Amino acid sequence: MVNLSVNLEINLAGIRLRNPIVLASGILGVSMSLLKRVEQAGAGAVTTKTITLNPRQGYANPVFVDLEYGFLNAMGLPNPGVDYFVREFFEGCERLNIPLIVSIGGGSAEEFYEICARICKCPMDAVELNLSCPHAKGYGLEVGADPQHVYDIVRRVRKCFSNKPIFVKLSATVPSIVEVAEAALKAGASGFVAINTVRAIAIDIYAKKPILSNVYGGLSGPAIKPIAVRVVYELYENFKNVPIIGVGGVDSWETAVEFLLAGARAVGIGSAVVRRDLEIFNEILEGLKRYLEVEGYDRVSDIVGLAHEVV
Amino acid sequence: MYLYGTISDVVELTPSVRLYEIKLYERISASPGQFLMLWVPRIGEIPLSIANLEDRGLWLIIAKKGRVTTFIHENFDRGTRVFLRGPLGRGFSVKKEFRKCLLVAGGYGLAPLYFLARQLKDCGITCDALLGFKSVREMFFVDEFKGVCTNVYVSTDDGSYGFKGLVTDLLDTSVTLEAYDAVYTSGKELMMLEVVNRCSRRGIRVEASLERLIKCGVGICGLCSLDPLGLRVCKDGPIFTGEVLLKLRDFGRYWRDEHGRKKSIEER
Repeated sequence: MVNLSVNLEINLAGIRLRNPIVLASGILGVSMSLLKRVEQAGAGAVTTKTITLNPRQGYANPVFVDLEYGFLNAMGLPNPGVDYFVREFFEGCERLNIPLIVSIGGGSAEEFYEICARICKCPMDAVELNLSCPHAKGYGLEVGADPQHVYDIVRRVRKCFSNKPIFVKLSATVPSIVEVAEAALKAGASGFVAINTVRAIAIDIYAKKPILSNVYGGLSGPAIKPIAVRVVYELYENFKNVPIIGVGGVDSWETAVEFLLAGARAVGIGSAVVRRDLEIFNEILEGLKRYLEVEGYDRVSDIVGLAHEVV
Repeated sequence: MYLYGTISDVVELTPSVRLYEIKLYERISASPGQFLMLWVPRIGEIPLSIANLEDRGLWLIIAKKGRVTTFIHENFDRGTRVFLRGPLGRGFSVKKEFRKCLLVAGGYGLAPLYFLARQLKDCGITCDALLGFKSVREMFFVDEFKGVCTNVYVSTDDGSYGFKGLVTDLLDTSVTLEAYDAVYTSGKELMMLEVVNRCSRRGIRVEASLERLIKCGVGICGLCSLDPLGLRVCKDGPIFTGEVLLKLRDFGRYWRDEHGRKKSIEER
């Protein structure tokens, strides 16, 4: 039985979400019709695949490995480029009824700015800067590991988005995540998405070769959950009022609750779709409602960061 | 991570199509219509329909088309170890009460339909098959189909064997659609569109096997999705019912390329 009085709404840097469960970037976000399905499955918000200025073909197969404890992928940021994206997503008749976060990636502050200039007038709710993809040459982590670089990029993007939230997607594998986060905030970031996949390799012992065509990929799923929880906890500890979307190995309502307790205001769903498909959204929502009810909370926002309380 | 097997035999079906008989290291179960991803280390990975599966014996039909399949034709032989991911996707649906079914195949699209025909026979369901090829030189598996089907009709584009014309022409000349409980089709998409349209007009249950660019194979990357329902060929398909297909404006029209851009189906 679901207690209707439990309130799942959250405020994420000024955007209202009907619930804190968000589709993470890179999963299904290639078309409006797929995002519509995710909306119907119950998500509170959705994120597109990372869009770059020019079209990218991505890597050749294999791009995905199913490990027992997680998943390894190196898609290579395939996308049709920003102009095609704008035409397909915003000039069709389909519209979402939940917030749309557009993920963008570039090799320089200038490139980020140019993408933003083309999307800032579109009906979207927030932008996510992919400064953490671990396997795309010249993109993601390669530009996002240096605090100064992050500062310059966020500042340029802020010039375009004067009144929309900017989320910076962070990597767990930088020397100091706090320094990178601080640089992003100083430049005008509104919140964080943590974490991206972790750079990794899988070798087949009978082929005696790396599996991914790109060799290097990004590890996701249960294997990285404790790392993601640590990063969320650390960010909350340092920047209490800054909203965080916690991502990394969320595959049940229990893991979603753990992220909320660590300080995430919303929780991203990624590769859990492999095993649970789109039912994962509803499963988590039902479990979350029951948990709040049993534990005696009226609002999901009441448990955000609760693990930090001393007593 | 992978399902392993060893090639036990290679049969040349036509100058460009070969049957690879594989002995899997472990027993798996799969339904007709499902597919596997075949990984060729450091060369690539391609989706393939299961052409037959019996105990640990797996049949894969591979046409020499691109870089990976050319490598396979040139390098794979008896004893070669293969690496597979799957079975993936959803197969054909067969109802217990079916008594007679029709299979409509074009070229090497016949692979999943052969596996289906064998299972239908095992279930005591009779079936007829319409097989279309470009010419007699590219014809294969007709005897195999004859072994499991009641009637097999063949068409070739150039008339070098059987009926001269398209496999869909056989729908008019050789069979009466109303005689079947269900029609299953696999092959070129425009051929399948024609089959689906004809069956739907007459209220005959029909299912088709779709092909799109498969990357992740597990329903998360979205590149194989079909508008406007957002159905993924790798996870929600590759088999779709006629009812669903007629709601998809992409069916018979568009696919997405490596970038995620929509391309006309004729550009494949």
